[in-house]
Amino acid sequence: MATDTGVRLRRLLAILAWLAQVGEAPIDEVAVQFDLTPEALVTELEMAACCGVPPYTPDQLMEIVVSDTTVSVHVGTALARPRRLTPPEGLALAASARALLAVSGSDDNGALSRALTKLDRALGGEEIEVELDAPQFLPLVREAVDREGRLLVTYYSASTDHVSERRISPRRVFASEGHWYADAWCETAGDVRRFRIDRMYSASPVEESPGQAGGAGGVTPADPDLNLDAFVPDSDSATVRISLEPADSWLVESIPATRPPIEVDGRVEYEFFVGGDAWLERLLLRLGPNARVVGPPEFAATRADAARRILQRYQGT
Amino acid sequence: MQRLDRLERVTDLLLVLLETTTPLSLREIAHRVPGYPESHAARRQAFERDKRLLRDEGVPVLVIPIEGEDQLGYRVDPDSYYLPDLGLEAEEQAALNLAVAGVHFGQPIGRDALVKLGAGGESAVRSTGPPLVDLRSVEALPALPVVFDAIRQSALIEFSYRGERRHVDVAGLRFRKGYWYLVGFDRDRGEARTFRVDRIEGMPDIGQPSSSELPSDFDVDSSFDRDPWQFGSGEELEVDVLIDGVASGRVIAELGSDAVLERRDDNTIVVRLSVTDVGALTLWVLDLLDHAEVLGPPEVRSAVVERLRASLDGGQH
Repeated sequence: MATDTGVRLRRLLAILAWLAQVGEAPIDEVAVQFDLTPEALVTELEMAACCGVPPYTPDQLMEIVVSDTTVSVHVGTALARPRRLTPPEGLALAASARALLAVSGSDDNGALSRALTKLDRALGGEEIEVELDAPQFLPLVREAVDREGRLLVTYYSASTDHVSERRISPRRVFASEGHWYADAWCETAGDVRRFRIDRMYSASPVEESPGQAGGAGGVTPADPDLNLDAFVPDSDSATVRISLEPADSWLVESIPATRPPIEVDGRVEYEFFVGGDAWLERLLLRLGPNARVVGPPEFAATRADAARRILQRYQGT
Repeated sequence: MQRLDRLERVTDLLLVLLETTTPLSLREIAHRVPGYPESHAARRQAFERDKRLLRDEGVPVLVIPIEGEDQLGYRVDPDSYYLPDLGLEAEEQAALNLAVAGVHFGQPIGRDALVKLGAGGESAVRSTGPPLVDLRSVEALPALPVVFDAIRQSALIEFSYRGERRHVDVAGLRFRKGYWYLVGFDRDRGEARTFRVDRIEGMPDIGQPSSSELPSDFDVDSSFDRDPWQFGSGEELEVDVLIDGVASGRVIAELGSDAVLERRDDNTIVVRLSVTDVGALTLWVLDLLDHAEVLGPPEVRSAVVERLRASLDGGQH
């Protein structure tokens, strides 16, 4: 209950300070901005209209006018000015601005750097740094997205551990978990694929002859829904069941599982989509001897085979 | 009177404490703020709850000794309550709006901050497409804003990490390869240390402002342990790893060309790494499957071989 009042107070103060700046605004718009229903917004504002400081002189009372569609607020001086940023808010601003500055070409007029200097001076944040990889072909891929063009790339696939040449139409670029990715239509695979840009060993634009559409037919536009998972399982991906000591669970916490883990005889059993043979080899080698493959049988020898293959490098030790 | 919405009482309390220039006793507060119980004990209890709520919401409620039988007075210092004017130009404000929209970092938090800074209107603060950069959300890392706050206040911070209690003078925050790191001076060990923020257990305790005793010559960048194999407490070893031509490109992209000791004609390279955690280095080498081989020193080479031999059987022990 206490938290509930706290959340409402925080929101009310934000609404009042914002309305004091803009004066009048459509009820629907204010409600959307602050994640309230229009009815709940009006209830909160009517409550706030009763607040004030004795002897309730006009300069201290909040004048709140609600019409059919708009609301206008003339708040007494006390709540008209915005509050200090909370630590999460200050951090969100400082980190977001730095992240974007780390992407070349995103602050050509220097406005973001200047804003950040002013923020740091008032709020402190100088000791934050955001490092983003700058893979060699990132500018080329971003440019291909902008002009809807195609690229010829030599690509190392970690899931199969093979290098191949592919013709792709990049549609969206983003950074997640420290790496840059491109979602692209891959002509070689005949499907949309996600590429890690630092695993492109070479990349060059495909010259389009005049009259030819920039993107190949069948290009799927980028999914506007937020999906930041780096590994996108196909519906027909194989699955593997692996059993771990409970203490080792953290090793797999970032791997998408097909279902919640289950407990079997004091151990924890997971089921994952298999991202490829090499992907599974890496996972099993990383988990080590305490992990067991429960099934299916085709993966029972995967770890031992990989270990044997690598050990050949160390013959004569 | 008792059925009054608590939010109304708390809002009134905030207005009264902000407006007063001298500390008010609880008696004076109850006289000005409607809704407090008549009996002294119940009134004190209700007020203490409201005061805690205001503080939890970041309102700096001051407690000041006063003359008279109440002994304690209360007020809110406007200078520490309000956001100072940052003097942002329209262009700088727009750049910040874009940064918050382009970076996934707990969207409502960045948006709330923008609203306080005066970003007006729905369109200005709503993201139009999927974000460009994902920094992991603040919600998933509850310790992160606390660490940020400790830096701003130059406060000592205390937390549990790998099952031990740590007392750290915080120097900086770094985002690298998908993780947030705290760099600081570990008082218990008497030296600089780097901690992964997602591995901090529970919420850190933050000390008084200016309680940090960071050595004046502390340099965040040179103290930052960048790679996982630098996180150990073991003796520092120079480890040479051979990388074949299939993997050398992406290893150079990951480590930088400074790490390359030798380049051979078939694109094979040898990298030299400074290692304090042999276990972490082993995992990195195994991730490269049969594209990598530890050349020396012998004890690290045999550690990798042993790990591989243990992975040869079915792991039934």
